[in-house]
Amino acid sequence: MQSAVHWALLGLVIERPSYGYELAQRFEQSYEGMLELSGFSYIYTALDTLRCRGLVEEIPGMGSERQPKLGYRATAEGVRDYQQRLIAQMREDFRRSRLFARQLAVLAGEPELALDVIESYGQACLEEAGDALLPEVEDVCADRGSGLAERLVSQERRLAMEARLPWVDYARREFKALAADRLQPQ
Amino acid sequence: MSLLELDGVGKRYGRLDRRTVLRDVSLAVESGEVVVIWGARRSGRSTLLRVAAGIETPDSGTVRFEGRDLRARPGATLGEGIGYCHRAFAARDGSPLLDQLTSGLIARGVPLATASRRASESLERVEIGAWARCRPEELDGGEAVRAAIARALTHSPRLLIIDEPTIDVDVLARDGVLALLHSLAQEGVAVLATTGESTSLSGARALTLSEGELHGPPARELAEVVALMPTG
Repeated sequence: MQSAVHWALLGLVIERPSYGYELAQRFEQSYEGMLELSGFSYIYTALDTLRCRGLVEEIPGMGSERQPKLGYRATAEGVRDYQQRLIAQMREDFRRSRLFARQLAVLAGEPELALDVIESYGQACLEEAGDALLPEVEDVCADRGSGLAERLVSQERRLAMEARLPWVDYARREFKALAADRLQPQ
Repeated sequence: MSLLELDGVGKRYGRLDRRTVLRDVSLAVESGEVVVIWGARRSGRSTLLRVAAGIETPDSGTVRFEGRDLRARPGATLGEGIGYCHRAFAARDGSPLLDQLTSGLIARGVPLATASRRASESLERVEIGAWARCRPEELDGGEAVRAAIARALTHSPRLLIIDEPTIDVDVLARDGVLALLHSLAQEGVAVLATTGESTSLSGARALTLSEGELHGPPARELAEVVALMPTG
């Protein structure tokens, strides 16, 4: 299963069994700016895919007695596959970082071009670090479960830059040295 | 006119090899904003702050605070508009914290009663009022930074310049120090800080300094405006 939307939806069902409409609302709240549903009704198509793969199962009669709804909960297989997907996704991120470095190295003969790329990359890192919010200490003390996703996202953004900014600094120096070498008379 | 303006600032050190520490640095800082400059060791970040504070004069370019060229009166704006903090509280002697802050004001001609009140208020403002009778060596890293900020605040600065405010601070206490700096900015004080930690860039206009060159949005209008804390 390749769709990031499907995996994200499975995560929400693992977090709490629910029915279609509520899942669509939680999807928008949880993944705003990261993942997008093509439409609210797509949630039912995605849930059907997850059910066919044995990752979720139906729970009839969820919701109120007057308006029972068809709910969904994760199967043991769904939980296990979700966990494995997270690990695989992390490795994919590492692979992308290595790929970016290799693709940049190809510009060794054109260091000025590489420096432009590094400048943009550095700017993106600064924006990412600057945009990350400070966690609200009071919330952490009051209830550790409250706002956990926001805190994890925020800290991930902040700490990921701990490695990337020095890398940008390093890459900039490497390509500046190459650019200086090109200016030296042979 | 920006509160602080650096225009084409250059600085070199050393008699023989004349190492270039700052190259053509331009930066504008406005009232009420937090600007944090990330840099590796020996990138020139501390020099940049000293030049911005008027403690050191640039070899080229200009530094203006509220439109005045700092080269005309080096160091004169310290305590008169600009508050400069070292990375930790520099104790004058072993006397209690409150006395340390008070004596600095008395030395500038402030009457004792007024000096004592302003020192107490500053310690309260940075949330270490309870430590007023402690000696500086009894403070932990986070408290020492707060004490340094309190000393600067006794002069009601419009610009607070602080060198690596979180470097000696316990990981769990760092966000508290950052939140304090942002709260000062919300009261209208401009904050210019350096850091070697990306976590200190949260909510700030972030720039990097590499081999004396500044990278990033040199003025607020060129930066994305971000919220300091989660909303709603």
